[in-house]
Amino acid sequence: MKTPAPADLQRWSDELARNPASLAFLPLARAYRRLGRKDLAMRLCLRGLEEHPANVEAHALLALLYLERGERERAADEWSIVLRLKPGNFEALRGMGFRYLEENDIPRARQHLERAALIRPADAAVQEALRLLRQREASARLEEVGAEPASAPQEDEMLTLVEEVWTPDLAGFPSFIDEDPAAAGAQGAAAAEPIELREEDVEPWAVAPADEAERHAEAVDVQAEPAPRRETATAIGDPGRVFETLMIGPILGALLLDARGLVLAGNLRAEGSADDIGAIIGGAVDEAKRTVSYLELGGWRGFLMEAQSAVIHVSPVHPEATVVLAAEPGAPTGWILRTAEQAGRLAARFLEAYP
Amino acid sequence: MSDVYRDAIERLSHVPGVRGALIVDMGAGVPVTAEVETGISPDALAALAAALYERTARASDAAGFGALSTFHLEAEGGHVVMAGAGDLVLIALVDDDAQLGRVRLETQRAAETLQ
Repeated sequence: MKTPAPADLQRWSDELARNPASLAFLPLARAYRRLGRKDLAMRLCLRGLEEHPANVEAHALLALLYLERGERERAADEWSIVLRLKPGNFEALRGMGFRYLEENDIPRARQHLERAALIRPADAAVQEALRLLRQREASARLEEVGAEPASAPQEDEMLTLVEEVWTPDLAGFPSFIDEDPAAAGAQGAAAAEPIELREEDVEPWAVAPADEAERHAEAVDVQAEPAPRRETATAIGDPGRVFETLMIGPILGALLLDARGLVLAGNLRAEGSADDIGAIIGGAVDEAKRTVSYLELGGWRGFLMEAQSAVIHVSPVHPEATVVLAAEPGAPTGWILRTAEQAGRLAARFLEAYP
Repeated sequence: MSDVYRDAIERLSHVPGVRGALIVDMGAGVPVTAEVETGISPDALAALAAALYERTARASDAAGFGALSTFHLEAEGGHVVMAGAGDLVLIALVDDDAQLGRVRLETQRAAETLQ
């Protein structure tokens, strides 16, 4: 594994200091990860995702960082985002495959692992998992017809495999994550490399990297501030979770609709499908605008409808987009209005990211 | 005009910031009774607001949210607050700086008296 050169660190750091929206956060975060400065790497990654919420490599790197911290749920969250953005991403398919194995969701585990195997047929962990899955399924079928079951893999055997793969050092997780962007295509060779920094790989300047790392972090203005809320980066990257941070208490969810009433992002805990609700509610928007225009009330700011099983607030966030926020009946009106404002801000950020 | 209707309108009209109050027959889109500031056509307001309320009530039902009870339209220059009462809808046209909480409450109470 290539050790990051001080000159590169300096260059990426300077670039970020000059332009916080620069993509230099990615190689810098990778470099700090290799140097063992994983907290710094994570902060850089989260900050970078605020500027580049759809950056697949940043989500994949974040997944790896979470995995290395033992935060499997969060790693799985990031992989699921990666798969929405890039359905053929090997690491995410494999990671989610093992995640589902761990949850004993065999059909979804198989689906993800088979797709991973198509992309990288030589991956030993994926092949082993599929072999065990096939054995288990064959055994289950024999049992169904009353035949003597073959020796099915024990639960322990599966879980041991899962544990091995969840341990990144054994899994060869790095692939493109640890590569320079220019070499991102050469995934196969990189997959076999260990990903942890070995002492012998560290240049003298990096053996005690704390000061240097802190200095670079300050240069990109991540050290002095509290770490950004993880939900922010996640929510913006995943259309279904844009409004996730608002989903507390009586809030049933929120949808971002385009001018045709089509759902762009968000979800609702409601009886009907989000698409149907979007289309139906979106249709009332034109009528509302016409009434405001006739009454010469200035710009349309939204409407609030109280119904039997929900309170709905609809407001514009863009000339051609509206946000629908739903809450349980009886939710305080002022609170709904404030939450709707927050939803509007999240929606605006989403639209900026996906114009 | 029935006393119930007149009382509902008067009650609503006396809330600070209310520029006009109407009771509208939703099906016909015409005002049953109205008290609005000069310059506002009660007929046009009744037609537009009733259409909006009816449209939204249908949307609410179709979306699975059930029957609509109140509707509050927000704009830079003011608000329209509506509450349903069977075939009727009570409409209040309100200034932007009005005490909206009180307007909403009075509109709902007035609508209840019409049920």
